[in-house]
Amino acid sequence: MLTLAVLWGAEAWSLWQSVLPGDLELPEVPLTGIPEETLERADRYERFFRIEFVVSELVLIAVLVAYAKWGIRFAKESAAGRIGTGMLLGMIGLALVWISQVPFRLAEVWWDRRYDQTESGYVETLFANWFQLGAEFLFVCLALVIVMAIAGRFPRRWWLLAAPVFVGLAFLFGFIYPYLTPTERLERADLHAANREYAAKQGIDPVPLRVEDVTDFTSAPNAYAVGFGPSKRIVFWNTLLDGSFGDDEVKSVLAHEIGHHSSNHLFEGVAWYALFALPGAWLIAVATRRRGGMANPAAVPLALLVLVVLDLLSLPVYNVISRHMEKEADWKALETTRAPEPAKRLFKEFTIQSLNDPDPPT
Amino acid sequence: MDDHPVRLVVGDDLNRSRLTVFFRLLLAIPHFFWLAIWSIAVVLSSFVGWIIALFTAKLPDGLHRFFVAYVRYVVHLGAYLAIAANPYPSFNAQPYPVDVELPGPAPQSRWKIAIRLLLALPALILAAVLGSGVGSGGWSSTRSDAGNEAQWFASPGIGGVAAICGILGWFAVLAIGRMPLGLRNLGAYGLGYTAQAYAYVLLLTDRYPNADPERIGPRWELPARPVRLEVKDDGRRSRLTVLFRFLLAIPHFVWLVLWSVAVFFAAIANGLVALVRGRSADPLHRFLAAYVRYYSHVLGFVFVIANPFPGFTGEPGYPVDVVVDPPERQNRWKTFFRFFLAIPAFLISGALGAALAVAGILGWFAALVTGRMPTGLRNLGAVAIRYNAQTNAYWLVLTDAYPHASPALRPPPEAEPTYPEPLEPQPEAV
Repeated sequence: MLTLAVLWGAEAWSLWQSVLPGDLELPEVPLTGIPEETLERADRYERFFRIEFVVSELVLIAVLVAYAKWGIRFAKESAAGRIGTGMLLGMIGLALVWISQVPFRLAEVWWDRRYDQTESGYVETLFANWFQLGAEFLFVCLALVIVMAIAGRFPRRWWLLAAPVFVGLAFLFGFIYPYLTPTERLERADLHAANREYAAKQGIDPVPLRVEDVTDFTSAPNAYAVGFGPSKRIVFWNTLLDGSFGDDEVKSVLAHEIGHHSSNHLFEGVAWYALFALPGAWLIAVATRRRGGMANPAAVPLALLVLVVLDLLSLPVYNVISRHMEKEADWKALETTRAPEPAKRLFKEFTIQSLNDPDPPT
Repeated sequence: MDDHPVRLVVGDDLNRSRLTVFFRLLLAIPHFFWLAIWSIAVVLSSFVGWIIALFTAKLPDGLHRFFVAYVRYVVHLGAYLAIAANPYPSFNAQPYPVDVELPGPAPQSRWKIAIRLLLALPALILAAVLGSGVGSGGWSSTRSDAGNEAQWFASPGIGGVAAICGILGWFAVLAIGRMPLGLRNLGAYGLGYTAQAYAYVLLLTDRYPNADPERIGPRWELPARPVRLEVKDDGRRSRLTVLFRFLLAIPHFVWLVLWSVAVFFAAIANGLVALVRGRSADPLHRFLAAYVRYYSHVLGFVFVIANPFPGFTGEPGYPVDVVVDPPERQNRWKTFFRFFLAIPAFLISGALGAALAVAGILGWFAALVTGRMPTGLRNLGAVAIRYNAQTNAYWLVLTDAYPHASPALRPPPEAEPTYPEPLEPQPEAV
C-alpha cells in the first residue's frame, strides 16, 4: 500500500509539471472597460448558481442516503439475476438523482432566461436531454457489469482490476467523443492560417477546426479542445463566431485551445482520472464490504452514494487541476500570439456577454 | 369481476362463399353509403342525447334503441368486411353471425356523462388499432431550408388488427373456402372491443371498455402449440420502475440487438440443419428458444405487461413467459419456404405489435397512477406477446406449427362433465 502511495505521489507531481514559470505572479488586472452595473449583474447572476449548487448537492446527497438505506427494496422488482439486479438498482439510483435535480434544472433555466443567457423553454429542458439520460443509463449499466463481474471473481481485490478498465474506457470515450458530437468544418481561411502558424510555434501539427451549433440551448460563447490522435480537434461554438468578437480575440481563443493540445492536457486529464480512480475504487470497495461487497446487488445503492460523495470531495482538487491547465494554455497562447490586449478584451467581453465572474476563485 | 354489458356473440361456422369474398369490397359499397348517412345522423343526435342525458342521467329510450342498432350495424358491416362472417348484412341490424348484445337504458353518473368524450379517448385510440385502423395518426417531420418542420397528420388507412385479418382472410378463403379460425376470432375480438368503445361514447353504458380478450364474450379456442405463453403476473407495478421503464430497458435494447445479429446466422444454420435432418439441432434450438423467451420478456417489461426487470439470458421463470417445447420433426417443404410462409404471421404480429404498444402506453399511465396494470390491457398485451413469440419460433425454424391468431391466453376450461340424472328406483315388478 505504501508503494502504491509513493507511486501515486510521484505520478501526481509529474503531471503537475508545466511550462508556467515557477515565479509567475499574476498581475492585478484592472476591470476597466466593464461597467459597474455589469459587474454587479454578473455577481448577482453567479451568486444564484453558487447557492443553487449547494442546495442541489445537499438534496442529491439526501436522496442518495435514503436510497442507500432503502434502495435494496427495489431488488424484488428484478428477475435478472445478480448482475442484472445490480444494473437495475444502479439505473433506479440514477433515475432518482435525475428526478431530484429536475427542480434545480428548471430553476437554472428560469435564472438564465431572466438574464437573457438562454432561450430554452422549461418543457424543452425537461425532455430535450432524454438521449443523454439514456446514454447515462447505459454507461451506469456498463460500469456495473464490469465491477460486479470482476467483484464476483475477486470479491476483495476487484478495484485493482476495475480501475484500469475504467481508465481504458475513459481513454476510449475521450477518443470517440469528437465523433459523437455533431459539428461542421470551420469555413474561415484566416483562422485556418492562424491555426497552421500557432500549431507550428507550439510544436504540433495543425489541429482540425470545427463549429458546433449551440444556438438552440445557449447564447454564451465557448470553444474547446477534444480528442486524441486522429480524433483531435478544436470546436468553436457558433456563438463565438457570430461577429460579437473581433478576429484577433477569436485567434487568441484558438491559440489557447492549441495550447491544450500541445500541452497534452487531454492525455493528462485521463492520467489524473486514473490517479483518482484507483483510490476511489478502493474506497468504494471498503465502504461496501458490510453489504457483501460489490458482487452483491445490495451494495449498489451504497456504492452510488460513496461515488457521489467522493466526486463532491474531489471537486476542489479537480478545480485546482483544471485551473492549472487553463493557466498553462493561456500562457502558451500569450507566448504564441504575443498579443495580450485581445485576450484582455476577450475576457471582458465574456463577462459582459456570459456574465462570467471576471475574477473567479480557483 | 362482472362481465361487460356489451358482449360479443359469435355464431359463425367459418364457411365462406368464395364469390362473395372475392367481390366483398364492391358488394359492400351500398353499405358504405348507408353507414355514412347513419353516422351523420348518429353524430348529430348524440349531441342531443348528451344534453338530455346530462339532465335525466340516461338516454331517452328511442335514442337508445337507435344507437344500439347503429353499433350493431357497425359490427355487422365490420365483420362482413373483415370476413369474420359470411352473409350479406341487413341494413337495419337484423341478427348476424358476429353480433353484439347491448344493455338496455339505465341511469348513469352525470359527471361521467359530462366528460364522456374525454374519458373515451384512450378506448377510441385502442379501438382504432384493434379495428380497421381508420383514424390512425402520427408525426410527420420534414427538413427544409428554414429548419425542421414537424406537424401532426391524421389519415384514414387500413392497418388495424381486424383489417389485417380481413386482408389475410380474403386470400385464405379464396384458397380453401373457409376462414381460418384464428383470423376470424381475432377480427371478431377487434370488432367486439370497437363496439364497447362506441357504446361507451354513445352513452349506451357507463362501463368502461374492457380489452381483456377473455371477457369480451366467447370462449376462444386455442389449439395446442409447441410455443405457449404462461402468465403468472399479479398485476402489481412499481411506480418508479414504470416511470423510467423505457430508460431502464435501454441495456436490454442494446443486448437484444447484439443477440439478434447472432440469431440471424443461427437461424440460417438451424434452417439448413432442419432441411437436412428434418428437425433442428439441439444446441441451436436451445440458443434460439432462449432468444424467443428473452425477446418476450423484454417486450413484457417495456410495455408494462410484466413488472420485474428481466434477466439477460432468457431463463424461464419470468411472470410473462414463453414455453418452447424441445425439437420435433418438421416438414421439409415448410422449412424450405419458411420465410415466405411466415409473411402473413409477420403482418398479424405487426398489427398486434401496434396494439401492444398502445396497450403499453395506456397501461403506463394507468400503472403510474394506480400502481397496477389493468387486467384487460395486460391480457391484450400478453396475447400480442404470445403471437409474436410463436411467429419468431416459426421463422427461426424452432417449430413448423403456424402461429395461432385467436386472442386467447390459454385453452378454454373444459366443460364440467355432466352425468345423467339417477333414475328413480322403480318398484320391482311382481
